[in-house]
Amino acid sequence: MNKKAYFISGLFLFFLAAITAFPQETILIKNGTIVPVTGKTIKNGDLLIQNGKIFKIGTDIKAPSDAVIIDASGKYVYPGIIALMTAVGVTGYPGAGNDQNEVGLVTPQMDPYDAINPEDNTIEVTRMGGVTTVHTTSGSRNIINGKSVILNLEGTLAQEMVIKKYAAQIFNIGVRGENKYPTTLSGTVTLIREKLDQALKYSEKKNEKNSKENTTKRDLETEALVPVVTGKVRAIFLTNDEVTLRNAISIINDYNLKGVIQAGKGIYKYADKLAEEKIPVIWVATTAGPGRWEPFDKYFRAAGMLAEKGILFAFATGGFGGGSYNIRNLPLPAAISVAHGLQEEEALKALTIYPAKILGIDDMLGSLEAGKMANVVIWTGSPLQMTSGIYKVIINGKLIPKTSVQTQLRDKFDKIVRKRMKKKK
Amino acid sequence: MIKKLVSIAALILIITASGLAQDLVLKGGTVLTMTNGTIKNGTIVIRNGKITAIGRDVLIPAGIKVIDTSGKYIMPGIIDTHVHYALTGMSDINEATDPVTPQIWMKDVLIPGHDSVLKTLAGGVTAVKTMHGSANVIGGVNVTIKLKYNAPVEEMIIQDARQQLKMALGENPKRTYGQAKGKTPSTRMGNAYVARKAFIEAREYKAKWDKYEKDKAAEEKDIIPPKKDLKMETLKQVLEKKLSIDCHIYRADEIVWMINFCKEFDLDLMQISHCIDGYKVADIMAEAGVSYGGWVDSWGFKEEAYDGNPWGFKIMFDAGVNIVVNTDSVSPGVSRYLFLDVAKVLKYNDLPEIEVLKMITLNAAKALEIDHRLGSLETGKDGDIAVFSKHPLDSFTKCLMTIIEGKIYFDYTKDSITVKGGNHE
Repeated sequence: MNKKAYFISGLFLFFLAAITAFPQETILIKNGTIVPVTGKTIKNGDLLIQNGKIFKIGTDIKAPSDAVIIDASGKYVYPGIIALMTAVGVTGYPGAGNDQNEVGLVTPQMDPYDAINPEDNTIEVTRMGGVTTVHTTSGSRNIINGKSVILNLEGTLAQEMVIKKYAAQIFNIGVRGENKYPTTLSGTVTLIREKLDQALKYSEKKNEKNSKENTTKRDLETEALVPVVTGKVRAIFLTNDEVTLRNAISIINDYNLKGVIQAGKGIYKYADKLAEEKIPVIWVATTAGPGRWEPFDKYFRAAGMLAEKGILFAFATGGFGGGSYNIRNLPLPAAISVAHGLQEEEALKALTIYPAKILGIDDMLGSLEAGKMANVVIWTGSPLQMTSGIYKVIINGKLIPKTSVQTQLRDKFDKIVRKRMKKKK
Repeated sequence: MIKKLVSIAALILIITASGLAQDLVLKGGTVLTMTNGTIKNGTIVIRNGKITAIGRDVLIPAGIKVIDTSGKYIMPGIIDTHVHYALTGMSDINEATDPVTPQIWMKDVLIPGHDSVLKTLAGGVTAVKTMHGSANVIGGVNVTIKLKYNAPVEEMIIQDARQQLKMALGENPKRTYGQAKGKTPSTRMGNAYVARKAFIEAREYKAKWDKYEKDKAAEEKDIIPPKKDLKMETLKQVLEKKLSIDCHIYRADEIVWMINFCKEFDLDLMQISHCIDGYKVADIMAEAGVSYGGWVDSWGFKEEAYDGNPWGFKIMFDAGVNIVVNTDSVSPGVSRYLFLDVAKVLKYNDLPEIEVLKMITLNAAKALEIDHRLGSLETGKDGDIAVFSKHPLDSFTKCLMTIIEGKIYFDYTKDSITVKGGNHE
């Protein structure tokens, strides 16, 4: 290569870098079936994105001169899926380590934001499944696990990805100590109450003027629970049966918490109570195996039951650690639920606007509305159909490259296998 | 004489009566045959458990029970080639005391009346291979069964299917032995050594017995039979090809190693289970005639699973690999919605729909060498059928009826929670 060629290719690389570093700010999606989820579906609709936000939705929107135009004819435009209770961003790649579940039964001070790795391969794999936002937790193996963080699956640094820090505190009522207090469920429930009492006291002391203790040492563990007991931060309780569910409801009521319950098999027994108390539900057990004397479709039908009772609910896979690799399969339990009685519109909402409501971010995400953050996914069909593919992913107004560690492996081995086959012939 | 006649007449009556239970006609609906296209408004006649007629204009014999399936979708019973249910329990899956345990037979622990059988039938599954676990390099002998709930074990086992020895390479045997037990294998080299040593011993064992049998046939005097060894007896059957092999492998290098190993010892390798890296060596698998028997999109849950790739199916399909999607279900897990799981192949790969359905029917039957009886709807094959409300790849579909050899084993109108007075109550 001569100097000129070097110069030209260098220039090309520079522009390529420039395009990547300063993504297009204006995108016009044309002629798609637009499903805003909160409003009516628009056929042959257009959607204009500017400065990271949805600027306008309608028909025959004129393209601004700087707009990148995406032809979505025959395609379907949906808000990005919001996945609750994930480990995306902290699960890492081989050798990077898994950073959930700090040692100890009570670790409310742990914050997954401190461990977010933008190079985590689950980020690109998950968004290629139409999930644009995740709620990543500190873990689930402790009784009081720690904080959670809401992330957009886009950005090169944690601070670019974050939407909301300390979105919730994660309690797991099903956890017990191994050879140390508490080894029983009643012990776990009592311990949670003790810790919440401590936090209330700590908060009162802090508020007392001229209090001696105000100047004493800070207690980071207790301090982390103060926003929970003062109702500023959500408390998510993980339950797995009727007893843990019942206790979660009492604790939420007794301490007047901004409570959310992740529910499993106990759901039928307490659905009316949850509806009455207006406690939102993260439903994780659609595919759970029914018990010996339970009908095969008992949990296939639970989401439909929740919707009928008017309970605000969202689907989650309930998969921490290992399960977080396939957060992209969140539509699967929703599809099963539709086959077994849930309205299709409700199923879509329970993947988008409902999780946004549960997290308190529905003013900025969860539906296609002017003014909202532009997390938009163009599908080849309904996201509820397992056969539907991803056509385009836009997060925070940026068009995301359609690649992941998996497409790279496909491209690499497609060549290798074909080459070997050619050689044999 | 009269007594004798009466008893003969009674016997004939019994035979006819039991025959009648195996006679059934499905009339109307879309029939997905797998081998001869799709028949709209088709009829299937099953007599004595076998399909005797199939087509649009089929004469319905008098006196047979006719089920109206118009508007429904009819496909061959789904086959799951890798499961761990219909048996006594988790503790009976892995004989993890020795890396070589071919003397273990899974048929010994089957429970035809196990709840897992009933729950799986509700997903249109009619046949499965219940397998030994992956703790040992050479595990036990798997058993291919039909999900005949509550039938005698002998009737549940597909008697004319060649059963398959379970083998396992990679991390699981290493993790089970190695550092944990201070015993080989602790490396992949160790795995290879353990497998090779066992089959070299089996060859020697076989040679001794062959000589004995030959001498015996020649009526030589003073011959003493060699000592029986139940481990070696099984491996001798593998060498004699009375048994074939299903090997648990994740990594590409080990897939190739195993194919070469089976060539070296002249063994029949039918399926690579999990086969995470299958797409990387698709050409080599196709040439060896070994089936891919894995998941659609599981990846990342352990280090050797990191390259799992739903985008790899097209590479395997183009190379000519017999692709089987199975579940590794325990209780009974994904088996209950395998039709929904397999649909995801189309999310990532541009393949014909029918080829995807074959991955849980005909291709699975081929991997189990039972395609002369199962896997497609053809005259002469077993009347093992699943009836769906919508196309089985439509995610809003549900199984309405599961039939094995003309007998209805699952009926939505009796077993669903929505049915008052159903079988579950």
